[in-house]
Amino acid sequence: MAPAERREGMHYLESLPRRWVTVYIPLLVFLFVLLFPFYWMVITSFKSNAELLSNGSNPFWVIEPTLDHFRKLFYGTSYPKWMWNTIIVSVTATFVSLAASVFAAYAIERLRFKGSRQVGLAIFLAYLVPPSILFIPLAMMVFQIGIFDTRWALILTYPTFLIPFCTWLLMGYFRSIPFELEECALIDGATRWQILIKIILPLAVPGLISAGIFAFTLSWNEFLYALTFISASENKTVPVGVITELVEGDVYHWGALMAGALVGSLPVAVMYSFFVEYYVAGMTGAVKE
Amino acid sequence: MTRITRRHFLQASAAAGAALGAPMLARESMAQELSFQPEPGAKLRVLRWKRFVQGDEDQWLANTKKFIEKTGVEVTVDAENWEDVRPKAAVAANIGNGPDIILSTNDDSHQYPGRLLDVGDLCEYLGKKYGPWYPSALAYGKSGGRWIAVPLGSGGNCMNYRASHVKAAGFKEFPKDTDSFLKLCQNLKKNGTPAGFALGNATGDANGWCHWLLWAFGGRVVDEQNKVAINSKETARALEYAKALYPTFIPGTLSWLDPNNNKAFLSGEISLTANGISIYVAAKNSPDAKMQAIAKDMNHAAFPVGPVGRQTLSALFFTCVIFKYTKYPNAAKEYLRFMMEKEQYEAWQKASASFVVQPLAFYERNPVWTEDAKNTPFKYTCKNMLPNGYAGTMGAASAGCMADFVVVNMVAEAASGNMSVKEAIERAEKRARRYYR
Repeated sequence: MAPAERREGMHYLESLPRRWVTVYIPLLVFLFVLLFPFYWMVITSFKSNAELLSNGSNPFWVIEPTLDHFRKLFYGTSYPKWMWNTIIVSVTATFVSLAASVFAAYAIERLRFKGSRQVGLAIFLAYLVPPSILFIPLAMMVFQIGIFDTRWALILTYPTFLIPFCTWLLMGYFRSIPFELEECALIDGATRWQILIKIILPLAVPGLISAGIFAFTLSWNEFLYALTFISASENKTVPVGVITELVEGDVYHWGALMAGALVGSLPVAVMYSFFVEYYVAGMTGAVKE
Repeated sequence: MTRITRRHFLQASAAAGAALGAPMLARESMAQELSFQPEPGAKLRVLRWKRFVQGDEDQWLANTKKFIEKTGVEVTVDAENWEDVRPKAAVAANIGNGPDIILSTNDDSHQYPGRLLDVGDLCEYLGKKYGPWYPSALAYGKSGGRWIAVPLGSGGNCMNYRASHVKAAGFKEFPKDTDSFLKLCQNLKKNGTPAGFALGNATGDANGWCHWLLWAFGGRVVDEQNKVAINSKETARALEYAKALYPTFIPGTLSWLDPNNNKAFLSGEISLTANGISIYVAAKNSPDAKMQAIAKDMNHAAFPVGPVGRQTLSALFFTCVIFKYTKYPNAAKEYLRFMMEKEQYEAWQKASASFVVQPLAFYERNPVWTEDAKNTPFKYTCKNMLPNGYAGTMGAASAGCMADFVVVNMVAEAASGNMSVKEAIERAEKRARRYYR
């Protein structure tokens, strides 16, 4: 922006002290609130047990860092196996849910059948039913199908809350894609399938990514179904596994627990960092008429 | 003078031997009388709580291995955090499928008694051989006169204290009544070595000491007819006592959950709390010299007796239940019988460093109670404790009240001054009525 332009309009209000008050200080407070738990997790995972129980040392810093908790986590528990299970379950459930949601959202938004609005609303309401109500009937089905205590129990039940959420999110995104693009394609002789694959989906990549990230995170952190439908230690996911192995009654192995949480949160953090721009675009609707 | 011949001597010896040995023989014959023949090809799935102390889980698995070798029955043991067993058990009960045996906590089994296999034959046998069962075991094991669960024992619950700090506070031995106990806590606070008792929603610790407090002053949630009776002058006295006690605590106890008092005690922040043996075991087994010093200095004592004049202890209770849907009821009963026999039970109790306190009088003889004097105060936890839902009967209402922390919240609200004693009682009464309709 040229200096001449900057002098015009409302820019005279943007003095440095004003920016500190309106932007930087709120941003710093926001960052502190968001990052402090993560910081606490990091320093706890590197503290020795003696330091964790000591009153004398500075609680906000590590005096004698140790990798003991990570060693315990990786060699004293089935953590690598839990991590692998979590990856398999989250990735598969996310892809299954995204595929189903794309069809559902496209149908509701574009096929213009009678009652499409009501169907959309019903899907959203399905998302509002809490898992604590659904887990018993779902458990019955899981047993009857014969997939209890397998990864399939989670892969097939997670879509029950992922599909409504992703469908609702994608419906909003599809709504922002100009209808004229599809009409042009129809005039050119494209089928509905071709329109979906060759026009809508390429334009909806940011929306797909943001729905995918959300679905992946929800699957990654899910606790109740993973606790209820899985019994064998070798089939557990990270959130359930760490609680089972690292909490002994009223004795919590805080160092190893925090190490488990830290390592467990890294894949999600990496995913976010790679796709953050798409993610923001997906949330705001990137394709404008 | 009567002449004692060799024949007389042999006859008298035989009679005396028979008289003395009869109960023993009866017990032995009883042991041989009851044995459940596992079904061919039986496979059992057992869900238990994850260890409170390492030895508990290790020895349970070792005993299971012995059972497998002896009977050929395949047994798989899964473990979950003890508070997470509840939803899994609820699912199993509701859908009629899941583990054959669950080691559950408190009165969970009383929420679905109709789904549980009658274990009367097994419990009667164990009662005759190793009994009697303590009253708390009968309360937790039976529903409507039917044995629905095999009582496994209680968690220990005692005052954990630093002996040197209590001595410095002017007490040669740990107080035995509530008045002296209050004085001790006040002195500890003055000395900068305060007490700390959980007042947050801590399932084990807060429920344990808050129920003790209520009962010690004669208060109770319900009467013998399961009518809500918490709004009483006895409850008010208990809460007035809590109000006097609370300022002696270290700050922050209102938000304490089960692990907080362990951490505070082991870090030297507090000198007195209520807990099982887990603090002592953690300190004793730690390679850290500071923790070892704490283990050496700490000791345990029974809860002080309140105005009611008798022990009013509250503690976690563990039971084993067999679900009716199991395909192998005999194998399941045989497994539990095997685990409760002295060869297995005593070894398990010893390995768990007395964390589990026996429900049967016979096991009071276990050397685990005497080989370390710091274990001894836990010995009668199960014998002296009152069951959840006292003075009424157990069921969904008692379980709901405890799960909703009705008593704990009442004590916390009154003690902290957040509510007046009257308001706290009225709120608790209202909440309790929602469960006891």
